[in-house]
Amino acid sequence: MSNPAELEELKALCPGAQEIPEARQVYIFLPNLKLPAGCKPPQADALLCAHSREGYPTRLFLSQPVVGKGSNWNTHRIADKTWHTWSWNYVSAEQRLIQILLGHLEAFR
Amino acid sequence: MKIIFKLTEVLLQRVKEDLRRPHPFAFERVGFISSRSGRIPPNGWVILGYDYHPVDDEDYVPCASVGALIGPGAMRKALQVAYNEPLSMVHVHSHDHRGTPAFSKVDLRESARFVPNVWNVRPNLPHAAIVLSEDSLCGFGWEPGSQRRIPIGDFTIVGVPLRIIRKNT
Amino acid sequence: MNKHQRQSFLGPNSESILRSLRIAIVGVGGGGSHVAQQLAHIGAGNILLLDHDRVEDTNLNRLVGATEEDVKRNALKVEIAKRLIRAIDSRTDVTGFDCLWQNAADVLHDCDVIFGCVDQFTERKQLEIAARRYLTPYIDIGMDVHEAAGRFIIAGQTYLSMPGQPCMSCLGLLPDEAIAREAAEYGAAGSRPQVIWPNGILASLAVGLMMQLVTPWFPGHNVTALLEYDGNSQTVTRSLKLDLLDEIRCPHFCSLQDLGDPFLWS
Repeated sequence: MSNPAELEELKALCPGAQEIPEARQVYIFLPNLKLPAGCKPPQADALLCAHSREGYPTRLFLSQPVVGKGSNWNTHRIADKTWHTWSWNYVSAEQRLIQILLGHLEAFR
Repeated sequence: MKIIFKLTEVLLQRVKEDLRRPHPFAFERVGFISSRSGRIPPNGWVILGYDYHPVDDEDYVPCASVGALIGPGAMRKALQVAYNEPLSMVHVHSHDHRGTPAFSKVDLRESARFVPNVWNVRPNLPHAAIVLSEDSLCGFGWEPGSQRRIPIGDFTIVGVPLRIIRKNT
Repeated sequence: MNKHQRQSFLGPNSESILRSLRIAIVGVGGGGSHVAQQLAHIGAGNILLLDHDRVEDTNLNRLVGATEEDVKRNALKVEIAKRLIRAIDSRTDVTGFDCLWQNAADVLHDCDVIFGCVDQFTERKQLEIAARRYLTPYIDIGMDVHEAAGRFIIAGQTYLSMPGQPCMSCLGLLPDEAIAREAAEYGAAGSRPQVIWPNGILASLAVGLMMQLVTPWFPGHNVTALLEYDGNSQTVTRSLKLDLLDEIRCPHFCSLQDLGDPFLWS
């Protein structure tokens, strides 16, 4: 389970943030997350994976791909929903959740 | 509108074992299956049995005219289960015969009483009532916000063998 | 004479059982095309096909039902499988989803059985999780040709993943390093060796597992869930891994959170 203080930090950015467990892993659902300026769409539901998955130390999934940004988009099924992620590695899990999130969003700046 | 109910063979046997137990004065027992649910496109539901909650002996109320009458304590405990975790609740009892069971008038009345109660705590989830026979099941589901009971179309008992009881064929 | 007369030994009502089944095949390439063909022959009534891919020249060595003409017109694999099924049994209700399976996964919610005939470990893992969420038996087939010490080794397995029983992670069938390698290669299957006969064997074993599960001919409760294929010695053996895990409850799917749609109540 996530550190409660770190989860509260995420909630300040994204009020509906909540944990979604699946198969002994915990993801953090971030509804209507605002994406960096210039992104299409400007916001999307997101799922933050703050643990190792498929060889990535952490990962961010979005409900739809961002047009023209990120590369090697691929599609996953997690928590009974479809998500999209891109190739963006080396965002360490050894930091606060909000830093992990911002580390992934850096790909779109 | 399609509603299907699935549970494992292991869970079903737990339910049957409990419902078979004699009670000091009730002719039959009642229990609740706490369940998760999901949608079937375009507008159906699947209810997935997770755990079984027997009605405690002391929560039955003597009544000569019905096989089993449960008191407010039983309902309160069932609602607490649904409140603690977001769960669909399935009222269950059994009839002692083989072949397709059916709801009696009393069964229908009791299940109609039960479902609105659960909506007080879980209004956004479907709930159901089922009756078992020795080798079959039947039941009704209620989707959120609707008073209309819908016959459960398929029952799947997940085990080896996989048993599927279809009501719509 | 009923065309399924020869399979009447499967038990009374077996024909109606099979006719009423709703079965999904995820991936209708080398393995899935065999499964589709066999399900049509045995009389499965409702088949859903999920695959986004189109046939290429290099598929013709193993894609059951595919023709040179299909390659010329770049046909969808689901279209080829649909045609194959309908030619065998016109009564079968076949629906094709020519997209990534994840984009149509809601249709799996009310399936009775799901066959996973996909190339990648990460796909299998996601499929098994999706099946377990809806208490759906999931039958996975996997085949590999690899080179070791100067020779080629053909190996594979068929696994029936049942709710409450050990999952593919419990059995070591989804190695983390293989999944990581796939992700690093961005999922490109590339020109991995693939041939028809191991696909056929594994698909047949998979359909056989399903038949043991759903028809009355097999009255025991001992469906052998994990079958290992050695393509060099041409043998299939029941894996001993399940014996070792016999009393162990799967720790990967034991939680309430792994059941149903978590967004319904979140």
